[in-house]
Amino acid sequence: MLQIKELTKTFGEKTAVDNLSLHIAPGEIYGFIGHNGAGKTTTLRSIIGIQDFDKGEILVDGTSVAADPIGCKKKIAYIPDNPDLYEFMSGIKYLNFVGDIFKVEPGIRKERIRKYADLFGLTQDLAQPIASYSHGMKQKLAIISAWIHDPKLILMDEPFVGLDPKAAHILKGMMREHCDKGGAIFFSTHVLEVAEKLCDKVAIIKGGHLIRFGTMEEVKGDDSLEDVFLELAEDQEAEKQGSEA
Amino acid sequence: MIGVLVKKQLMEVFKGYFYNQKKNKARSKAGTIGMLIGYAFLMIFVMGGIFAFVSLMIGPTLFGLELDWLYFLMMGMIALMLGVFGSVFNTYASLYKAKDNDMLLAMPIPVHAILISRLLNVYLLGLMYSGIVILPALIIYWIMGTFSVTTLIGGIGLILILSFFILVLSCVLGYVVAQISSRLKNKSFTTVIISVVFLGLYYIVCFRMQNFISSFLANAVLVGDTIHGKAFIVYSLGLVGQGNLISMLIWLLISGALVLLTGRIISRSFVKLATVSDVAVKREYKETTAKKRGVFGTLLAKEFGRFTASPTYMLNCGLGVLIMPVLAVAILIKGKMVADLLGSVFGPEAAVFLICLGLGAVASMNDMAAPSVSLEGKNLWILQSMPIDPVKVLMAKLSVQLLLTEIPMILVILASLIVLELTPVQMILMVLYPLLFGLMMALIDLTIGLKFPNLTWTNEMVPVKQSFSIFVALFGGWILVAAMGGLYLWKGMDMGFVTYVGICTVFEALLSAVLLVWLVKRGGKEFAELR
Repeated sequence: MLQIKELTKTFGEKTAVDNLSLHIAPGEIYGFIGHNGAGKTTTLRSIIGIQDFDKGEILVDGTSVAADPIGCKKKIAYIPDNPDLYEFMSGIKYLNFVGDIFKVEPGIRKERIRKYADLFGLTQDLAQPIASYSHGMKQKLAIISAWIHDPKLILMDEPFVGLDPKAAHILKGMMREHCDKGGAIFFSTHVLEVAEKLCDKVAIIKGGHLIRFGTMEEVKGDDSLEDVFLELAEDQEAEKQGSEA
Repeated sequence: MIGVLVKKQLMEVFKGYFYNQKKNKARSKAGTIGMLIGYAFLMIFVMGGIFAFVSLMIGPTLFGLELDWLYFLMMGMIALMLGVFGSVFNTYASLYKAKDNDMLLAMPIPVHAILISRLLNVYLLGLMYSGIVILPALIIYWIMGTFSVTTLIGGIGLILILSFFILVLSCVLGYVVAQISSRLKNKSFTTVIISVVFLGLYYIVCFRMQNFISSFLANAVLVGDTIHGKAFIVYSLGLVGQGNLISMLIWLLISGALVLLTGRIISRSFVKLATVSDVAVKREYKETTAKKRGVFGTLLAKEFGRFTASPTYMLNCGLGVLIMPVLAVAILIKGKMVADLLGSVFGPEAAVFLICLGLGAVASMNDMAAPSVSLEGKNLWILQSMPIDPVKVLMAKLSVQLLLTEIPMILVILASLIVLELTPVQMILMVLYPLLFGLMMALIDLTIGLKFPNLTWTNEMVPVKQSFSIFVALFGGWILVAAMGGLYLWKGMDMGFVTYVGICTVFEALLSAVLLVWLVKRGGKEFAELR
């Protein structure tokens, strides 16, 4: 579903993502873990095509992001780390806006809006302007808008931030359901417990380098994901200092 | 404590003098001092100068008729109006809707200190606004009328009485504004309508001020007698300025009592008022099946949605939409007379050209395409992450300006065609020239907006009012109009209307074509690459 080959992105002198390669198959929930500034958001933004990259190739369901960005975007839904939505619209207007852009049939759209808005308890607030929404409500709306067009691949940057425990639980269920139907999800998170329980595969990034990836068992073995993540991060730091010395 | 709170309040009101919103950082000391000096100059010399002039216009006549009290009554009423209207929205924002109420109430600050500081802030602003009217009026009276210890005391008393009334009225009106605001459904349109009505009233008052003053002075004795006979208490307010100390004491007692009563009423409900959350009208959600729209239609609806949701955007970039229909009616009523008048001065062809030029100038008052790219701001990721051809996004932004300019422009053109006696070729040019001018300006505005975007704003005012693109859009249009007018005087008159306006129309068409091709071929890519 998603193939990233030797992705490299630099900002001036700083290399944000360095030669990153990753493959996500249909049906997989793939977690992306790393410190702040490790290169997670840059990678996600490069996949969705709102961040150009210097080297490498990204294929979404066999379509190149660089060669056919619009074709790729038709298959993807993206939720950024901060859900800055159109505050001048009401919730329902925003969902219909997304539905129209992705050409979702009105009947199907109505059904999906009802299903997901009811799940998140957002139905009664759909007529309110987004400007009046709390951070959590905006995040719920962004999630519904991502699911409304039934994308093949869903990219999410820190999707659990701002969600209450119930909404987080619902989102986890939606993620699993989506992947069980053959879709794929690639999301970044700092909540390692969630990643450990939810993800089929996980990738750990540090300083733009992918330092370990694979199935949860391959990455963590018998340890907890938190221990492995901290240990790997420290090893990488020590290795870097050693090579500099 | 109260001093610190008042200082904070005043800093909030005048924050523009300490903080550069455009650059999102504090101004330098020199910058702040410069801004404050500029403000003081504006208030004392410009505004104060205007009211000194009004005082000079009515003062000597009334002093001569021994109607000094009527002079103070007139100037007092102007001061009262300016003071109340100048500070009512500040009262609404600082007393009833202050964003820091929760924060201050959570601190170890007595509630009465917060309330007094808020009221003092309202009082000081009211005093400032009324002062720019009443101080020049008093000075003129002391110089040209009578100066004595009693008139000096009376003058100070009058300043105090007026400022007390302004405080009371500001609190009452601020409360009314807060109540209306929390119940309005279409705040944006209501704000625009109220602003336009105020603007209209302002111009009517300015245009008619001279006539009103002349008529008032001609009937001053009659007006004075009527007030004296039928409204003695009002008459006694005028007496305060000319040094009647008994009247001063009575009015000080009345206004002081009203201030105390207002303070008491507000203090009883202040915590409730200050902590109430916005009682916005909650819209009920009714599930419906949406009509399916095409991508372009969806983008166009989104652009219209953004435009109509913001009074700032509508007022700053779309005033032409309101002016053009009014202009069409004005042309139908007075167009023939104006054309004849212009024709008698410049010649009949030049008159038609000037009207064409005027239509172009009105078209350039609409510039909603200029800030439209910048207004995407933090929402840019939405359009960029969706499967949309970026050229369609740009065309939707362009179409808003075209629809809102060209449709009302057709009304103005039709009115001109009905009223003016034109040859068939002149008629064609009268249609083509303004419409193509509107198209050219929309394309220029969008191109400039795309080339000089500001996507990091924190306040919508920045892209809509203070950006480079909006500056170019507004003044660029006027400069083009002036250039076309200047060239007409230089060469166009000799060429004749048809040849000259024909060349201008071809220029508009060519420039529009070049810009359109650029937007389609290159502009879309530039939009997609915006970060």
